Amino acid sequence: MILTGHEIEKQVNNGSIVIEPFDLSNLQPNSYDFHLGKYIKVYTNKILDPKKKNPVKEIEIPNEGLLLKPDELYLGMIEEKMGSKYYVPILRGRSSTGRLGLFVHITADLIDIGSINNWTLMLHSVVPVKVYAGMKIGQVTFWVPKGKIELYNGEYQGSLKPMESQSFKDYQD
Amino acid sequence: MILTGQEITKKVNEGSITIAPFYEDSVNPNSYNYHLSPELLVIEKSLDSRRETKYKKIVIPEEGFVLEPHKLYLGLTKEIIGSTKYVTSLIGRSSIGRLGLFLQITADLGQLGNSHKWTLEMHVVKRLKVYPNMRIGQVSFWVPFGENDYEYIDLYNSSNNPIVSKLYKEFKG
Repeated sequence: MILTGHEIEKQVNNGSIVIEPFDLSNLQPNSYDFHLGKYIKVYTNKILDPKKKNPVKEIEIPNEGLLLKPDELYLGMIEEKMGSKYYVPILRGRSSTGRLGLFVHITADLIDIGSINNWTLMLHSVVPVKVYAGMKIGQVTFWVPKGKIELYNGEYQGSLKPMESQSFKDYQD
Repeated sequence: MILTGQEITKKVNEGSITIAPFYEDSVNPNSYNYHLSPELLVIEKSLDSRRETKYKKIVIPEEGFVLEPHKLYLGLTKEIIGSTKYVTSLIGRSSIGRLGLFLQITADLGQLGNSHKWTLEMHVVKRLKVYPNMRIGQVSFWVPFGENDYEYIDLYNSSNNPIVSKLYKEFKG
């Protein structure tokens, strides 16, 4: 079951869902629109390797916007801190950003229950597209789980900026 | 409703979900991490929906294989996965999405039915090395609503190899 907008609002008010800051104007019939934070990270290596720490450079999106180029991967962040210990979040783009050819995640839309963070976005565009800090870039939905809940306690917890892949930790003993 | 990690483990133990082999340490708060089989199909450059896809089959060596942008690869899960009671959804992991690897091309929804190894539709934004047996994606399980007594005629579920599109068979004459 997916939560309606009214239910999201109710659960935010009783503390079961975290969306900070929360503004009613972003509430949709069955999702909540989130915004793009101002920091972006880009990998600097030509070949990425999941077994290694891949170096990144950080960019601050200028006021005049940042042009995303196809063939490049940009790790962005959500301006809002979001998550829940009771519902499973799934994030995605908005139809308005999808129509511009912008991916906001790369086949990883499912968030672990208990991950309450400024989640990292995997930005990738089909055609060159300019993005701006603070723009409404995607939406989050909340789903009812079944079964005993064990909360997320992974390596991305507490991230306040876009966080590059920690997959190399899979290969550490 | 989406099953929590503990519920997935319970259903695997009871037999209503198949994940084989099953590793406890691959269970997430609300999904299970699947691994990459060494078999990989490198798909020809230009495709025609009316024709059978041509490809080159390779085995990913232990030292890894670099996936190139603008190309399509069909991979395979190491695990046999499926359920006749819960609906599967296969996606990537956030750690791998952050490296720009798509595991599905807008086709993440599985069907109720037989268990098998799943074909992965792999595509990278930047050059990325992949390794055999790496933890590459995640599968979630969803409670369906409604009668579930049909037999899904799956074009693909009889084999445990990556399988190219059979769309061409839908064209007559």
